[in-house]
Amino acid sequence: MFETLKVFLRNKKALIGLIIVLLYVAVAVFGPMLLNLDPMQRVGRPHQPPNPDELLGTTRMGRDVFAQLIYGTRTSLAVGFFAGIIIVLIGTVLGIAAGYFGGWIDEIISFFTNVVLVIPQLPLLLVIAAFMGQTNPAVIAIIIGMTSWAWGARVTRSQTLTLRNREYILASELIGERPTRMIFVELLPNLLSIIGFNFIGSVTYTIITQATLEFLGLGNPMSVSWGTMLYHAQNASAISVGAWWEVLVPAVAVAGIGVGLSLLNFGVDEISNPRLRTLGTVAAAIKAQKKIDQQRLAEVKP
Amino acid sequence: MNFVIRRIAFYLVAFLVAATINFALPRLMPGNPIDVMFAQQNSTLTPEARDALVATFGFASGPLHLQFLDYMKSVFTGDLGYSIRFYPQKVNQVLAYALPWTLLLAGTATLLAFCVGSVIGTFAAWRRGGMLDAVVTPVSLALQATPAVVIALTALFIFGVALKWLPTGYAFAPALDPAWSWEFFGSVALHGLMPICSLMVVFVGGYLVTMRNNMIGQLGEDHVTMGLAKGLSDRRVQLNYAARNALLPSVTSLGLTLGAILGGSLVTEVVFNYPGLGQTLYIGIVTRDYPLIQGQLLIMTFATLLANLAVDLLYVFLDPRLRKA
Repeated sequence: MFETLKVFLRNKKALIGLIIVLLYVAVAVFGPMLLNLDPMQRVGRPHQPPNPDELLGTTRMGRDVFAQLIYGTRTSLAVGFFAGIIIVLIGTVLGIAAGYFGGWIDEIISFFTNVVLVIPQLPLLLVIAAFMGQTNPAVIAIIIGMTSWAWGARVTRSQTLTLRNREYILASELIGERPTRMIFVELLPNLLSIIGFNFIGSVTYTIITQATLEFLGLGNPMSVSWGTMLYHAQNASAISVGAWWEVLVPAVAVAGIGVGLSLLNFGVDEISNPRLRTLGTVAAAIKAQKKIDQQRLAEVKP
Repeated sequence: MNFVIRRIAFYLVAFLVAATINFALPRLMPGNPIDVMFAQQNSTLTPEARDALVATFGFASGPLHLQFLDYMKSVFTGDLGYSIRFYPQKVNQVLAYALPWTLLLAGTATLLAFCVGSVIGTFAAWRRGGMLDAVVTPVSLALQATPAVVIALTALFIFGVALKWLPTGYAFAPALDPAWSWEFFGSVALHGLMPICSLMVVFVGGYLVTMRNNMIGQLGEDHVTMGLAKGLSDRRVQLNYAARNALLPSVTSLGLTLGAILGGSLVTEVVFNYPGLGQTLYIGIVTRDYPLIQGQLLIMTFATLLANLAVDLLYVFLDPRLRKA
């Protein structure tokens, strides 16, 4: 466990990603406690630029952008993690079932997975959310979770299929292990990296999609999240009147967590597939080789 | 040929599923589906208009399976009912006006993103760890994780409002009438530049990273080593031996990302006030125009499936193994 962590932290991308994500999580967990300010409260005149009192300025409603950012981080991350868990649960169960049992179970699951994959996500989400009315963040998380599992199911299935043909699985089958033991003891541990990859990707996707849905006006405007902040900013024409802070703050927040999570994911990818690495080790090896060559040359010359 | 027929059958089923969702959703909601659909308009809608809408949807009467057949019949004859917001226009009229703009926006952006991403990805993988790779790969990772809203809003603020270089809305100058003239096309290009570029920026990263990773996989294969050992030029090995094979998974991902690109274009249009499906849909959402919102799901699904079919045909062209089967 400790060894894995060390390998993980040696990867620069993964480390930076992890730091960014942990920073966001810390803000989401502790921020609202330390702040002690209602994000919906009117604190000053509308569209005040950033100043010592209102660190990131105010919205058109005169609400404190900084307070909204802190509370919005909590909502957006919660929705992301909640939907991420749903996506991973459905995707993993279906993926393992299809890959392990094969036959008609695989046929049916794969067919539905592929159908869900080709139907465009956002338009589908828009229709569902529109019929739900003013959707709360929790409802948005559930809708996204229920419609976005297909990619994970497909990847998990193909990985299960490769594992299924390994000899150790055949050996366990010959011993007469029950399917439950096969799945939970033999397969699942080897699928963990794929599941983790799927989870991080799903959280990123959910946070982006939630912001998009709420920006389009399908969220509950009374809830505080990055998406509703963008929605209010758009409705107040914040950009045209020059209130850039009202738009920039939630925009940077969404982009930041997206970058953090995908760096984390790319780092994980690089660790499991060393050929994908960009710099670092390769460049270091080349440098070391050159140094040795020069030393040898120097030794030979005199 | 068999392959293509199977794909078409599959897309047909996928479209049926989307249509079924449309059919089922208003009926799954508590209460009368008509009341759900027209809840917000009841006060503004005249009784005649309401009756006309009810008649068009035709789901008020009859058992469920007959309603379903009726609905499917109207969908497959291209009749999506009346729009509530734009009444007495039909949904397909409203969407037909908006669709070309979205296709222009999403199509150009996809093409640009795919070509630019794949070319840069090919070179980044060829000199892995080099300058290009070290700069381009992390940047595209960051872009890939940035939502379309954020990039569009940032572009609008920098180039539209702060620098005032480019127009901030509409598809062409309001004073112009659509015509086959240079002036009109120039105006369309100028107005399209910012939405297209910001949409492209959102998606270029994904193609770049996919292509780079596939290329790296290919470069380790024996046939590449063989090509180099034969003394072929680097360019030839890079493009004809590695890139051609590495392109296949990229083309698959092109098909699967089309839905995401249409989604991204919805948002981009709202930000830039561009008169495509996204802008129309935004109005539909604000006014709770359910037939319009449902219609866009069908038309977008249709567009995505059609594009996927095109990708499949492209695949047959790129992968000789499929031609024989």
